[in-house]
Amino acid sequence: MKSRLITVIVILTVLVLIFSAGAWFYVFRATDSNVAYSKADVEISAQDLLKRFESDENSANAAFLDKVILVTGIVEHVAHDSLGVTVYLVNPDEISGVICSFSDSETNLDKVKVGDPLKVKGICTGYLMDVVLNKCSIEE
Amino acid sequence: MKKIFVILALLASINVAAAPKLVSKTGHVWFYSHTPVEDIEAHNRQSVSILNTETGEIQISILIKSFEFKVALMQEHFNENYMESSKFPKSSFKGNIVHLDKVDFTKDGTYTSDVAGDLTIHGVVKKVTTSGTFEVKDGKVTAKAKFIVSPKDYEIVIPSLVESKIAKEIEITVELPYTE
Repeated sequence: MKSRLITVIVILTVLVLIFSAGAWFYVFRATDSNVAYSKADVEISAQDLLKRFESDENSANAAFLDKVILVTGIVEHVAHDSLGVTVYLVNPDEISGVICSFSDSETNLDKVKVGDPLKVKGICTGYLMDVVLNKCSIEE
Repeated sequence: MKKIFVILALLASINVAAAPKLVSKTGHVWFYSHTPVEDIEAHNRQSVSILNTETGEIQISILIKSFEFKVALMQEHFNENYMESSKFPKSSFKGNIVHLDKVDFTKDGTYTSDVAGDLTIHGVVKKVTTSGTFEVKDGKVTAKAKFIVSPKDYEIVIPSLVESKIAKEIEITVELPYTE
């Protein structure tokens, strides 16, 4: 009888430990890097996205901020720095464009070439001179 | 042959005429909050800056939502509770290089001058002055500066429950690599 009680206590303790580890992991480790695996809220071309922000920033903010956006555009420029890689998507006749920030862990970036069409998924953080996408990943 | 020289001279003059405004689109802005309980830092590498080398005017704009934290939950609290980034999506600095005569943008070197202007955070505008460094290397300019700000000055309310985790004075560093 006593040994059975101990077994139950041990099993319960293990379950509680697993659960709390999972909860801790979920809350503190769940970074937004799973953007790559989440479904896009909006699909739009770089040109249209830029137009929306240029014509009415407030309504575009309401529509796109914090959303996972799948953008299609032409690669204008790729810049590497100590924190990661930035890809500029533009349309040939525009000065502004969409800035996409990647972390160093994105491995598909080597294949990205200036002038190529590219699909990028990221979180929209707003508009300065360009529309800004963060935590980007390349969509095949 | 002569023609080429004329064209080259023309091109050079165009270059000089177009030079005064430098733009940086991938400026790095980060902040650091130190308390005995917890150190917090967040990075934003998408800040935009325009520097007029003739008048010394300098503008920096950043998106609050572009700050990345190590912990996603912290980023959420920062945006939703403290900075209210949906209501105030941008922060900016608009100011001037105080001693422009001390900075020679045409010559390689490292120059220091005070920078003074309006700092806007959380919709609140304050006059600030800080020391700025301008590094000129191979014709490329990089500006660096540190701002020390107190959340209280910008009407950022920090609940007493987490007060001990967030510094009274937060150090904001900007590093702006300008391209032509």
